[in-house]
Amino acid sequence: MASPRDIGLSDAPDRPFHGPRGWVEGVGLAGLTLASCLTLYVQILLGRARLDLPAFAAALRQSGLSVLPAITLVAAAVGAILGRQTQTILEQFDLPSLVLLSVTYGVVMELVPILVGILVAGRAGVALAVRQATLTVNGEVDGLLASGVDPIRFTVGPVLLAMLLMSFSFAVWTSLVTFAAAFLWLWVTVKIPPALFLDSLARAFSPGDLLEAIAKPMLFALLIALIATINGTAAGRDPLSVGEAATRTMIGAVAAILLADLVVILLVRG
Amino acid sequence: MSVDKPAALELAGVFQHVGGRAALAGIDLSVASGEWLLLAGPNGAGKSLLTRLILGLDTPSAGTIRVLGQDIQSLGWGAMARLRARVGAVLQGGSLVASLNVLENLLLPLRGLPGGRDRLAREARLAMTVLQLDGMENLRPRSLSLGQRRRVELARALIHRPELLVWDGLTDGLDPAAARDTLQVLRAQRESRKLTLIATDNDPDVLGDACDRVAVLERGRLVFTGTPAELETALPQRLDLRYLLRGRA
Repeated sequence: MASPRDIGLSDAPDRPFHGPRGWVEGVGLAGLTLASCLTLYVQILLGRARLDLPAFAAALRQSGLSVLPAITLVAAAVGAILGRQTQTILEQFDLPSLVLLSVTYGVVMELVPILVGILVAGRAGVALAVRQATLTVNGEVDGLLASGVDPIRFTVGPVLLAMLLMSFSFAVWTSLVTFAAAFLWLWVTVKIPPALFLDSLARAFSPGDLLEAIAKPMLFALLIALIATINGTAAGRDPLSVGEAATRTMIGAVAAILLADLVVILLVRG
Repeated sequence: MSVDKPAALELAGVFQHVGGRAALAGIDLSVASGEWLLLAGPNGAGKSLLTRLILGLDTPSAGTIRVLGQDIQSLGWGAMARLRARVGAVLQGGSLVASLNVLENLLLPLRGLPGGRDRLAREARLAMTVLQLDGMENLRPRSLSLGQRRRVELARALIHRPELLVWDGLTDGLDPAAARDTLQVLRAQRESRKLTLIATDNDPDVLGDACDRVAVLERGRLVFTGTPAELETALPQRLDLRYLLRGRA
């Protein structure tokens, strides 16, 4: 009998998404994950599937409530930093409306979405990658598959929904806290009147801008979930790969957030 | 094979190549519906790898695998999920989901099947009673002993009344009494409906007189297939089989 090597058989891969085809396979998995989750959400809306409420609640807690103190503190600190920097500019240029307008615009359109994205990546994204990797390493994915359960729907479905919801909420909350901190700083130091601050807020954004500002963190959350799924799955059955999956998810998510932001800016602003 | 006994499993020229060597080399095997087959052989012979291929958890390097009449390599996710609803699996090393309790693990194969949650939970509790798992429904797998985890896995594999049960490592983690009880449960399933069983173990006698056929694997090759009586007859002449199965020449 000819040996498998003689008849040109390939090795069964020990770890997926490695080698030259890895990128293509990863993108393919991301597409399947997205399709699988969207199908699940449509089925839930139509009453043909149930949302795994305990898993959804756990994901909300993990990607939301547990991050809230940190994100509030960071937003307040960033607001104070911006307030101080704006104070310096206002001391050089006596154009408070223009300066406040540009600061407000930068905070809502760029700073907050990226900040929220990075914090969600660090908490929920890494947790999702580790969970996926651990499920694979422990053979739990095999148990799900053998039971006819789609592991992607089972793990990513509730988590992605929680991440989208929390990213939206965080975008609103972080903007409010950042503005409040920046306003307090400027009010105390250079006596910027509240009316001027609110006027700058009102004039800074068109409805399209606000839509973009809300959509961006949700786009980032989607990217983070897909990157975490790819890296978690790529861990294969090697226990040492669990930590690697977490690291790769964090680095990949931050890079993807910045690149996606650039793409959105180029597409929207031209 | 007779016409009235369709094959539950057909393997034709199945190869699996792992780490530069043929872990399975040209496996041809057919299991009739209702038949009980024991895959025996020493550690590393390829038994677990073969069960993973049968369950569609891995893809073979070459060859064809037909489970309950369907070529599993040609099936999409939906068709594969429907096929899996007809197959039960107990995997070596355990496959219970750690974040779910025993009852939730048992309900996994029933997701997507008709019936209210209460009815499905009742079925799960019945399966737990049969396998002496009463009172454990709220425990997480890590709180259970290895033997209890194996019984939960068996309950999960049987709860959706599969036509084919694939069990890797039949006596792993089970003491002799638990192994006897488990075999009793399987016999009852066989009597109440036509359950096909493909089990793996190092011991070719583990299924006793319930076994219809034994297939012996060594280094990825099938070196014997026949009834337990034929195996006993072959052993005096087959030094290699005696060494593989009895640990002595």
